[in-house]
Amino acid sequence: MSTRFGSLGNLMKRQDLILNAICVLFAVGFIVMALTNVRRAGNFISIDSLFITLVSLMLAGIFMIIPLLWAHENGVLKNLFAAEGDDTPVEPVEVHFAGSTKLFLIVLGALLGLTVIEVFLAYKDVGLVLMLTILIGLSLIKAALILAYFMHLRYERMSLVYTLIPMLIICICLLFIFFPDSFRQLGLRVYR
Amino acid sequence: MSTHAHTAEPLVADDWSGGTFPYRIGHRKLGMWLFIVSDALTFSALLIGYCYVRVSSDAWPTPFVFYPSIIFSTVMTLCLLASSFTMVMAVAASARRDRRKARRWIGATMLGGLTFLVLHIYEWIHLINDYGLKPFTLPAKWLERWPQASPLFGATFFAITGLHMFHVLTGVIYLGYIAMRIRRKTHEDVEISGLYWHFVDLVWMFVFPLIYLLSVDFHPPAH
Repeated sequence: MSTRFGSLGNLMKRQDLILNAICVLFAVGFIVMALTNVRRAGNFISIDSLFITLVSLMLAGIFMIIPLLWAHENGVLKNLFAAEGDDTPVEPVEVHFAGSTKLFLIVLGALLGLTVIEVFLAYKDVGLVLMLTILIGLSLIKAALILAYFMHLRYERMSLVYTLIPMLIICICLLFIFFPDSFRQLGLRVYR
Repeated sequence: MSTHAHTAEPLVADDWSGGTFPYRIGHRKLGMWLFIVSDALTFSALLIGYCYVRVSSDAWPTPFVFYPSIIFSTVMTLCLLASSFTMVMAVAASARRDRRKARRWIGATMLGGLTFLVLHIYEWIHLINDYGLKPFTLPAKWLERWPQASPLFGATFFAITGLHMFHVLTGVIYLGYIAMRIRRKTHEDVEISGLYWHFVDLVWMFVFPLIYLLSVDFHPPAH
């Protein structure tokens, strides 16, 4: 796009540079914000500090998307998002199926094993919050296995994965914003 | 910022250049994926709300004894996992254009889903009739054992497992429709119904530990 249109191309090139510079500036700003927070927060492992750090890094990442894509398009970053065999054109109705019976049996075995571990752990009295964390952690592994192999997401294009999954994760993380209040409510009880 | 301005638009470009099939899947499969993402948010909101209520209550009934509740729900989990596997086999058979086998595997999947439904309805009836659990009222015996317990136990239990059961039911009907008309359906149709079925399985992977395993009765009273 740059060489064919002469001065127009040059203008677009300059616009690209300005846009990228602004984005990089914002990204650096948010990274600095995260680092400042890490340095100045007395206790880093607190909900406030982790929240601010995570949000800053997330915003920095969002602003870095445009420069990174630009760099990728101009050949600076090669094959960052390339899927395997991407250059062969495919038909719209092409049947595209990967994975063998053996692989699916292994995944099924892993899922069954994790279920049995969960049921076993449920009979260990370790306290509600720790149990909740362990169970959600194990379930996340199971969900990832189902998504990747049964729902075939591992063999789809990365653009589909990046379109569907990050926004889902961010929304679910946002739902957790209210969660710390449950600990405060528990502390308010007096009749115990 | 298209780099292909001077050529005809390619059917499939690199990952971020769009093209006619930017995700290399058909629009119906993309639609199912978008539905799955929105449905996942519905279930996340319900489950996170449940966890919130659960953690903020210092008394929450933990009534699920090993038999029948935990055994039943574990078997239900195994049913769903096995049916997910048979669904993968159905999609694989359909990819080989072996429609007869695909139909058989879908039938096995429906059987797993129906077993799940029967066991779950039995479990509901057990809780409603034998214990007297209601959506916003706890049984009197439970209140003796867990004084001041949150009455929301029934509401969260019936709402979350009920919504999931509804998904299983619609999934079985959907699969039945696909199996019935499999000769007129493309491979993509089978694959899309498979996506829905795996999603139903995936949701249960969160409902089962959060609803059942967190409310296991360690010390059931002796009769």
